[in-house]
Amino acid sequence: MRETMSIWFFCGVLFFIYGIIITGQGIWELSHPPAQPPVLYSLHAPIWWGAMMGIAGLFYTIRHWPHRNR
Amino acid sequence: MKPFTLLATFAAEPAKTQIAYLHGVDIAVIAIYFAIVIYIGFYLKGESNTSEDFFMAGREMTMWIAGLSFVSANLGSLELMGWAGSAYEYGILATHWYWIGAIPAMLFLGLVMMPFYYISKVNSVPGYLNLRYGPGTRALSGISFAFMTILMSGINMYAMAVVMKVVLGWDLNFSIWVSSITVAVYVALGGLRSAIYNEVLQFFLIWIGSLLIPILGLIEVGSWHNLEAKIYERLHTHDYVHLWSTLGHFRDNPMGVNWFGIIFGLGFVVSFGYWTTDFLVVQRVLAAKDLRSAKMAPILGSALKMCVPFIVILPGLLALGVLPYKLVGTTVAMHTGQHTYNEVLPLMLVRYCGPGLLGLGVTALIAGFMSGMAGNVSAFSTVWTYDIYAAFLNKNATDQHYVKMGRWCTLLGVLVSVGTAYIVQHAASIMDYVQQLFSFFIAPLFGTVIVGMLWKRATKEGGFWGLLVGTVTSISLWLWVKFDPHALRYVALSPDAKEMAENIYRALWAWSAGVIVTVIVSYATQPRPVAELEGLVYGATKIPKEYDEHWYQKPILWAGIVFVAFLALNIIFW
Repeated sequence: MRETMSIWFFCGVLFFIYGIIITGQGIWELSHPPAQPPVLYSLHAPIWWGAMMGIAGLFYTIRHWPHRNR
Repeated sequence: MKPFTLLATFAAEPAKTQIAYLHGVDIAVIAIYFAIVIYIGFYLKGESNTSEDFFMAGREMTMWIAGLSFVSANLGSLELMGWAGSAYEYGILATHWYWIGAIPAMLFLGLVMMPFYYISKVNSVPGYLNLRYGPGTRALSGISFAFMTILMSGINMYAMAVVMKVVLGWDLNFSIWVSSITVAVYVALGGLRSAIYNEVLQFFLIWIGSLLIPILGLIEVGSWHNLEAKIYERLHTHDYVHLWSTLGHFRDNPMGVNWFGIIFGLGFVVSFGYWTTDFLVVQRVLAAKDLRSAKMAPILGSALKMCVPFIVILPGLLALGVLPYKLVGTTVAMHTGQHTYNEVLPLMLVRYCGPGLLGLGVTALIAGFMSGMAGNVSAFSTVWTYDIYAAFLNKNATDQHYVKMGRWCTLLGVLVSVGTAYIVQHAASIMDYVQQLFSFFIAPLFGTVIVGMLWKRATKEGGFWGLLVGTVTSISLWLWVKFDPHALRYVALSPDAKEMAENIYRALWAWSAGVIVTVIVSYATQPRPVAELEGLVYGATKIPKEYDEHWYQKPILWAGIVFVAFLALNIIFW
């Protein structure tokens, strides 16, 4: 029998994936800076913002991982 | 793919062309979001087979999910884009729509009105009116609500399409159709449950995608005081950064409104009308699993709502301080090619966000659009099916038939609202247009509901005529000013009043007219026996006693905390 997947699980998965993508982009930009960087580019927001999203997303994914009812 | 480019952000006189290009990473972020919302719709399809599941999400939502969904359904793209634009145009006064224009009403809904909605086990606000006043009032409110939700849905759609046009250069029609079909798919498949699930997801996405703008903006200017100084330097006035001190007279503030209108028109009529009788938001709370959750959901929602100005109003104010060019109204922009007030949020997004984060910010705006539209469409589908179709057109159909009707209505609602998206292109400010709709339909409805809920003597005829006269009064006042702009001095009580003040005062007049007519007609007609009003009216209803395990679980305690915070914020930004 299927257990309904929690909405928190969906949130966790989405933000974990986003965290990986955005942090990865931020790290890549360290060696390939954009030609016309946004204001406050020097703060490297994608790295820390993406990392925070990834950690929170991972926590919620694990915490609300769906289990099959026996 | 071209490298990320800010084509116009730093130009002295920006041309109204595409201001950013998406990288592959941005497109991936957007595509993943679309995939997940559609997956949720398909996943929940199997759990929306009965009308109770499809229209009321099985009434099993926790207070957190109901509360988040309650706020998220309101946090559409027009809330994000429209109020950010209004903050640029009117300054911090726009915050009144989030604080005095929301918090007291949400707390009132949770503490006072929710028990009646919940105990009567109605499926909709028109459903409550049916029990209280009879089918005539139900039909009137059902039809006016259905009309309003479709229009509101169109506004949401337009606001989102503008983002895509300004930021990405996407064709307006393309944005409208792709996003609206996505909403139609997930709501038609999973009903209210799917809408609520997605709204919770969208709530967090909106925050995560938008929060960097105020954070980086404050880092750029240094502090709130520096921002105040920058705005003063540019505009030579402090009017844009004070909530109350400029409301002594209509001509003393950029919005052209006064304190009486804000407190009684906005804080009482418009706000209480929207948050306690607009089925779009009330439906989310009716899906709560028990009375305590139903009471706590709006209280929790009010705490969240109080924080929203940080991601909506503050970016508008920051734009006043840091953008090196001036934004203008839609009418002027059509002639000059400048950016409009409504575009302030995407402009700020592009200012601070590079590849990846830009995709996240754009996704947040799309999520805002979807949550607003899904809210409108699911509420429309419920009201149409329960309060018009099942009540008057086909009373004896099977439950399966009504679910099928709900799914088709969802698709139809999306199609009709696509058409309305084009109407709002000519509104000077999106939020002015929204306030017009509220004053037409929500203000009179609030008068009818609140009198019926608190006064046993109100009769069926009183409710019907009160609602009708209130709505007609509002539309008539609007037409009067439309054809004779000098009439504004009578409608808004001052020749210095501006459009937003007109909307607020029109709502106040409409509500007053509705309530007065309800009272007069009620006294002239036969009331219902008190025994018939049980579960519907204060004084004739036994509210179930709540037994909270701990003192800190009491809704009144949390409502008190939120109210104190609300007062403190108003004093801080006085």
